[in-house]
Amino acid sequence: MKNRIFSALAVALLTTAVLSGCKKDGDSSEPTVGTVAFEVENMVGAKDVALDGTAYATASGETFTVTTLKYYLSNIKFSKADGSTYAAPGEYHLVDAAKPSSTSFTVSNVPVGNYTGVSFVVGVDSTTTKGDPLALAGDLNPANNMYWVWATGHIFLKLEGTVTSTNPAKALTCHIGGYRAPYNAIVTASPSLGGATLPVQANHAPTIRLAANVLKIFDGPTPIALSTFPTAMAPSAASVQVANNYAAGMFTVKQVAAN
Amino acid sequence: MPLRATVVSYLGVLLGVVALGAASCSKGGGSGEETPTPTAPTAYALAVPAGFPTPVIPADNPLTNEGVALGRMLFYEKALSSTGTMACGSCHQQSKAFTDGLAFAVGVDGVANPRGTMSLTNVLWSSQLTWDGAFTTLETQALKPLENSIELHQPLTVGVAKLQATKLYPPLFLAAFGTSTITNELALKALAQFERTLISGSSRYDKYMATRQGFTADEVAGLQLYTTHISPGKVRGAECFHCHTQPLMSSNYEGKFFNNGLDLTFADPGRSGVTGVAVDKGKFIAPTLRNITLTAPYMHDGRFKTLEEVLDHYSDHVQMASPGLDNNLIEGINDPPFGTHMDLTATEKKQVIAFLKTLTDSTFIADKRFSNPF
Repeated sequence: MKNRIFSALAVALLTTAVLSGCKKDGDSSEPTVGTVAFEVENMVGAKDVALDGTAYATASGETFTVTTLKYYLSNIKFSKADGSTYAAPGEYHLVDAAKPSSTSFTVSNVPVGNYTGVSFVVGVDSTTTKGDPLALAGDLNPANNMYWVWATGHIFLKLEGTVTSTNPAKALTCHIGGYRAPYNAIVTASPSLGGATLPVQANHAPTIRLAANVLKIFDGPTPIALSTFPTAMAPSAASVQVANNYAAGMFTVKQVAAN
Repeated sequence: MPLRATVVSYLGVLLGVVALGAASCSKGGGSGEETPTPTAPTAYALAVPAGFPTPVIPADNPLTNEGVALGRMLFYEKALSSTGTMACGSCHQQSKAFTDGLAFAVGVDGVANPRGTMSLTNVLWSSQLTWDGAFTTLETQALKPLENSIELHQPLTVGVAKLQATKLYPPLFLAAFGTSTITNELALKALAQFERTLISGSSRYDKYMATRQGFTADEVAGLQLYTTHISPGKVRGAECFHCHTQPLMSSNYEGKFFNNGLDLTFADPGRSGVTGVAVDKGKFIAPTLRNITLTAPYMHDGRFKTLEEVLDHYSDHVQMASPGLDNNLIEGINDPPFGTHMDLTATEKKQVIAFLKTLTDSTFIADKRFSNPF
């Protein structure tokens, strides 16, 4: 929705640019900010996730299908080799495996420079998620179906499907959220750029291509057995375990393209 | 949200100006006909209720007062049916939140459709239109009921020619779109503009959400059940919100389809008829529950006449072995270990229904801006 406002502004700016097109040479001050593009590929192991009933296997050989995969990426932070960081304000992106347009987004107004690290919250920060639901806009609006109620806030990550290795098959419902101790599931992922540099310049928008591997939700620091995994539908110890798993290994950087 | 409304109207004005500019560039193409110089249409001030998402309006069809007014006339224009007896508004009746009270919509030739008329309440937030998401924009969707042989049954080109031959419509198209030459595209754009103004956000529920006051104890309990996921043996709930998501009380914005356990086998393929994917069999959009007291009968085939029957279904009669049944209905067992369904109590059903009744918006069905202008 922010995008919509921005596109309105873009049209306005474009119009202004066209109208003022006759007078050349505006002011020549160097722009000091650039844009970083993100592209996320939702995968199960080495395969792109399919929501069509395809069954996948965890490390322990349990099988499952995926019908819904949605999660928030927010609070994006870029860091330099000297330890300095830039935290991009107001970035809340809902990635939905069912909506290709949601898997890429841009972060603008990043100060130019060579960055060596990136991190983001998989979910929504507590200040935002406990705000008045009537004031939640864009990807954060409850209509996106990633929100419980005022008291519990947003669902940070939602995975739904069926466990097919049990007999009978059982529902797989994994809604992770919660911002209050002891069940605070707000986690940060810091996938390594693998030694690559992210060169942010005024006229080059580099792209970070991320892989989001669903298997790491279960095959993480705390391996989770699908056969006994309870429905996660409220803040709990189990949901914090799941969150720590996906923070640790779900997101990897496939490529940094300088463009 | 005055800010959002402002942005939307600003975009509208801007595009209007751009369109006008473009139109003025392509002047002088000697159509021979004397047409008055069009004035730019004025942006329609869309009032988005507090807490609703920012609506997505196609950049090439901004809302204008002239376009919306024209769309309203077309919505009620019977010349757009082959028999001259029906219009969009024949099945989408304002008094019934733009439904018709029938299980299956009946077209100009008296033939029933396989599904029921859907409410147009807040349709501008629908990313998926109709029961199975066969369309994603109002501009493309409206052509189907206009031309479909069991609905209005007339090629739109024929309808457009009828409009063109009137004294009434060419000036209205000129005012709305800068040309008095009526086309399918412009007629569909005007209809879509009108439909996007059908906003309902003044129910008692909305007032309660703004003030947290004004509900009876039963209504509060009903809302609680509506928004609660069952934790078997610990927390009782009715699971409604998973599919009928606030604040629109539908899955239209998210664009998701569900098997809600009506049947074991599917007479209507639902979403799979569009996608061809087996797991989508028997899945339908979860339509809005806003104004639900006005839109009986319920379900895509109108099989339930009352809200009591609907609650009995979800509580007691869901086909638990239906392939692709929604997870929340599979797991939503209030009375373990022996309960096999959601098993709401009679009191709980009454409370949910009491809450659903708060979603009726009397100002929406009385709003003169949406009524038949003829």
